[in-house]
Amino acid sequence: MIEKISNINETIKNNITNNDTIFIGGFGHLIPFFLSHELIRQNKKDLTICRSGADILFDQLIAAKIIKKVIFGYIGNPSIGLSHSFNRAYKSKKIEVEEWTNQSMILRFHAARMGVSYLPSKILQIGDKPPSIDYLQSTSCPYTGNIYSAIPSLKPDVALIHAQKADKYGNVQMWGIDGDTIEGALASDKIIVSVEKIIDNETLKLSPEKTVIPSHRVTSIVEVPFGAYPSYVSGFYSRDDDHYKEYDSISRDEDKLAQYLDEWIYSSETITEYQETIGKEKLIDLEKGPCGKI
Amino acid sequence: MKVNNYKDISINKRIAMIAASELIGYQSCFVGIGIPSDAACLAKLSVEPNLNLIYESGAIGAFPQTKSYSTGSPSIAFGSDMITDSFSVFSELQAGRIDVGLLSAAQIDKFGNLNSTVIGSYDEPKVRMVGSGGAHDIACLVPNLFILMPHEPRRFVNDVDFITSPGSGSEIDQLRDKYKLGSGPSMLITDRAKFKMSPDGWYLHSILQDFSYEDAIEGLPWELKKPSNNPIIVDSKIIDSIDTINL
Repeated sequence: MIEKISNINETIKNNITNNDTIFIGGFGHLIPFFLSHELIRQNKKDLTICRSGADILFDQLIAAKIIKKVIFGYIGNPSIGLSHSFNRAYKSKKIEVEEWTNQSMILRFHAARMGVSYLPSKILQIGDKPPSIDYLQSTSCPYTGNIYSAIPSLKPDVALIHAQKADKYGNVQMWGIDGDTIEGALASDKIIVSVEKIIDNETLKLSPEKTVIPSHRVTSIVEVPFGAYPSYVSGFYSRDDDHYKEYDSISRDEDKLAQYLDEWIYSSETITEYQETIGKEKLIDLEKGPCGKI
Repeated sequence: MKVNNYKDISINKRIAMIAASELIGYQSCFVGIGIPSDAACLAKLSVEPNLNLIYESGAIGAFPQTKSYSTGSPSIAFGSDMITDSFSVFSELQAGRIDVGLLSAAQIDKFGNLNSTVIGSYDEPKVRMVGSGGAHDIACLVPNLFILMPHEPRRFVNDVDFITSPGSGSEIDQLRDKYKLGSGPSMLITDRAKFKMSPDGWYLHSILQDFSYEDAIEGLPWELKKPSNNPIIVDSKIIDSIDTINL
């Protein structure tokens, strides 16, 4: 069996090139913050990032000016407000957008996962369509004549996701809220996974039903405990809602945001440094919160 | 708890109270975070214990006990009956197997078209908002759709700047039939009144007790006749539960 354990620096350097299209996992839960921050530290360029509902990680990547295009169904800071860096880039036309809906994004990934070039759906036939998806065609069912939108597949070059556990061969175990994480990962050519904990294959085999991505589909595994902070990981730690609230006011101001990126990304190069930036007390608190370890 | 004057109750609670009354008899409800989620929780807690709350993150039978920010938040996941993926819940929605959906938005027009994309033009917006998320999908697909809006006149317009989530009315209903979609928004609930959909758009159906006709239509740009229906009085079970919901 091929061993897939890597470190973040190496795996991002070797597997992601400028201009790549990258799926970023996590739906409120399991957002790969620390793993994706490496794209910024390595100053990758002209990336396209995609997922259904995008939150502040997308905003950070846009703020770091490494993103050429964003493909999404939603982009914001859930329940708190807007994605301010995205808004600035959108208004000054410094970013390309392809704007769908959450269901259509999921169907795009599902089609790629299935190896077909589109899937029929009832959505996006009425209402206004953003100009970026004007190319959407319709199709009629050869059996019933029903008319559907032909939602085109989207096959990212690489998926970056975070999960609870994996073994050294790359079998990935995940539970709790998935959203479109597995969908987007299995749609992608390469899958890079950060996990809270690497476990033995023998231990993993005791609960194979928790394995959601098999080893042969995974490019590399990195162990980064608390790597999904400030989102959360079921069974490990809760979500830091306050961080999201503070990010709203920070990201309104480009100078404050530059300081934030420096503190949380450029100066938090290793997972130990990232944990130190979060702070020991906070880590313990989050382990006690809903869906946490304790 | 006895209500002396409905005006003493907060805006969000009044919307949730009226909406909860309308959820009696339904078993599954597709909701997003905010007033829709709070209204569905209130209904489940008081008058419709059989209601399954379904979130686009894949949580089914959720009953959040603390404030949730994301549909994927720990408070949604914790205590759910089932967690599946988004593909599965949207598939159930498209198959018409989720009874009712609740939506809110930044702007609404007379035919229930909703905007959560841009204020101003799409290319040069005054405000760039969050986009559809699952809102367009819910508005197209769910068999019964209720819209919940605070009574803030700037949100009520003759034409929304962008139709993120399509409404009803004679023209659009033909397309809904053609594409075998849900029937579109049938009810609009504000913190002052309840409106129902007709081929000509919203009409004022009934007004919350202690509010006048003038209150119910204050600042709204649509022509709305005085209703003949009795004022809305909320079930005491809902009133008794209102303070346990995190609004």
